[in-house]
Amino acid sequence: MIGGEGLALATRGLQKSYGARTALAGLDLSVPNGVVYGFLGPNGAGKTTTMRLLTGLIHRDAGSIEVLGRPFGRRDRHRLFDVGALIESPAFYPFLSGRQNLRELAASGAPVPPGRIEELLELTGLRERAGDKVAGYSLGMKQRLGIGAALLSDPKLLLLDEPSNGLDPAGIVAMRETLRRLAELGKTVFVSSHLLGEVQQMVDVVGIIAAGRLVREGPIADVLDAEGTIRVRVTPAELERATAVLGAHLGSENLTVSADDPGWISVRASSDRIAEINRTLAGAGIWAIGLESGNDLEMLFLELTRGEPVASGEGTFFGTAGAQAGIGSSKGGLS
Amino acid sequence: MRLFASGLRKLSRRMATWVTFGLLAGLLVLIMVAVGATANAPRPSGQNGAAALTLVTFPGAYDAILSFILGLGGLFAVIYGAAIAGSEWTWGTLKNAVARGESRSRYILLSFASIALVIGIGLLLAFVVGVGAALVGANLAGVSTGGLNDGAALGRLPEQFARGWLAIVEEGALGFAIATLARSQLAGIGAGIAFYFGGTFAGIFLPDIVKYLPFSVATASVSTGTRAGGGFGGGGAQPAALDANTAIVLVVAWLIGSLVVAALFTERAEISG
Repeated sequence: MIGGEGLALATRGLQKSYGARTALAGLDLSVPNGVVYGFLGPNGAGKTTTMRLLTGLIHRDAGSIEVLGRPFGRRDRHRLFDVGALIESPAFYPFLSGRQNLRELAASGAPVPPGRIEELLELTGLRERAGDKVAGYSLGMKQRLGIGAALLSDPKLLLLDEPSNGLDPAGIVAMRETLRRLAELGKTVFVSSHLLGEVQQMVDVVGIIAAGRLVREGPIADVLDAEGTIRVRVTPAELERATAVLGAHLGSENLTVSADDPGWISVRASSDRIAEINRTLAGAGIWAIGLESGNDLEMLFLELTRGEPVASGEGTFFGTAGAQAGIGSSKGGLS
Repeated sequence: MRLFASGLRKLSRRMATWVTFGLLAGLLVLIMVAVGATANAPRPSGQNGAAALTLVTFPGAYDAILSFILGLGGLFAVIYGAAIAGSEWTWGTLKNAVARGESRSRYILLSFASIALVIGIGLLLAFVVGVGAALVGANLAGVSTGGLNDGAALGRLPEQFARGWLAIVEEGALGFAIATLARSQLAGIGAGIAFYFGGTFAGIFLPDIVKYLPFSVATASVSTGTRAGGGFGGGGAQPAALDANTAIVLVVAWLIGSLVVAALFTERAEISG
């Protein structure tokens, strides 16, 4: 048991390479039961590789996986009977209708209760078009059908890779509500997405990976509180002095000045300290010409994924404070 | 059983199934009716239609129909097997089943089992269509159809049919395995066709080796001392062909080998896309 009780999904030291390219370099995820978990990372960070490993589509080089509290390896495909997944783009037989595709998919894996297909067609808003061939479906409709397919066996754990792809705004809202409702029913939803605003609204817990390693994980409110960023702009002439003043007040390790972004100082501090920072500068006779509160997921994401991953990415759920990327380092700042 | 039934439903709704059957049956009808319609037409001196008329004269027509179905059907089976297996990779539908916890090899083997059954049904229907077309051809040519009830010919049919089905299924399995290894519908079909015709040409130069290859053993396995087998496709009658009983053993070996390769490859493959 690597994850302890209460985890729907856990990985430890998960490694995967494709030839010389390392996709995952020791990934440690801890996904609690009954939450919506946002799995974030830039392109090529290893999100889809992780999803494929979690569904047994590819084989790990090293490390371990636990699914619903039990080890998951090559011979443990039955664990997936309690898992629903939408990996990459939804895949269907184009010559079959949406309903027929679900019916044929239901013939594999875990048994599907009678009436479940119609229920899912209703849930995904596809009932009207369920008899049409999938070849004629839009991307959004295929995505809805893919989500329906993932829910076929009423899974305890749902793995969704970019589920918002191709959905219209109403579809995104509906999906968000559906996933929240599933979490309220005690199911665990593990969702990767590039829509950070969407993730921020939807998830309980967030995990961010970069270069195949976890760089931050925890309840989203805690992560954002701990990782708030304030950006201050001063005139170039006052930049050095402003940096010294703020460094003295907040600690120089919490400041980043990037040559790519002249005049801006990034300060690691929660957004409620913005007035205090302004006052500190004013007290030293420096007038800020710009102030931005960066206490949102997008800024955090950009900051974390442009920097080096932290060495200790392991087991950071409920314990993120000590495993934060160095915002003050030359590589860790906002550009 | 769920997977097998699902495979049958999918195949029955697939255009490839009906196009393949339509081509086979359509060509058979075309040939038989054309032979009947032109048998008595005036010909240049030195030619007569007697040889062509044997195609629509029973009981020999049974062998002719089988020969056509098993010859061209082998090529179609390679393409069909490759199309079905390759599409699972091309469309990404194998991924869905694996992610639902389905056994990869079970999925592959049951998919092929449904193909084998569909091939059997297709052969039977094509044969029935062929017999009907030969009757039409015989009537057009004014040939007696009295041999239709020939006991000896009818008695041979079940064995010929069973051997033919096994041979065609083996060729389908080869296409299935090639497409699985290629992970692609088009690559599988292309490689299957190349293998099919390549074997025929290679047989000219390397008959002692080619006679053991899948298409040659399939052809040899249906040669039961009648005119059935050979004639219409790759791996046609070859001087160095194996005897039918040895060939049928090799057909089974190639069939099992192809399926084992396909299943093992799928079991170990990294599935993406």
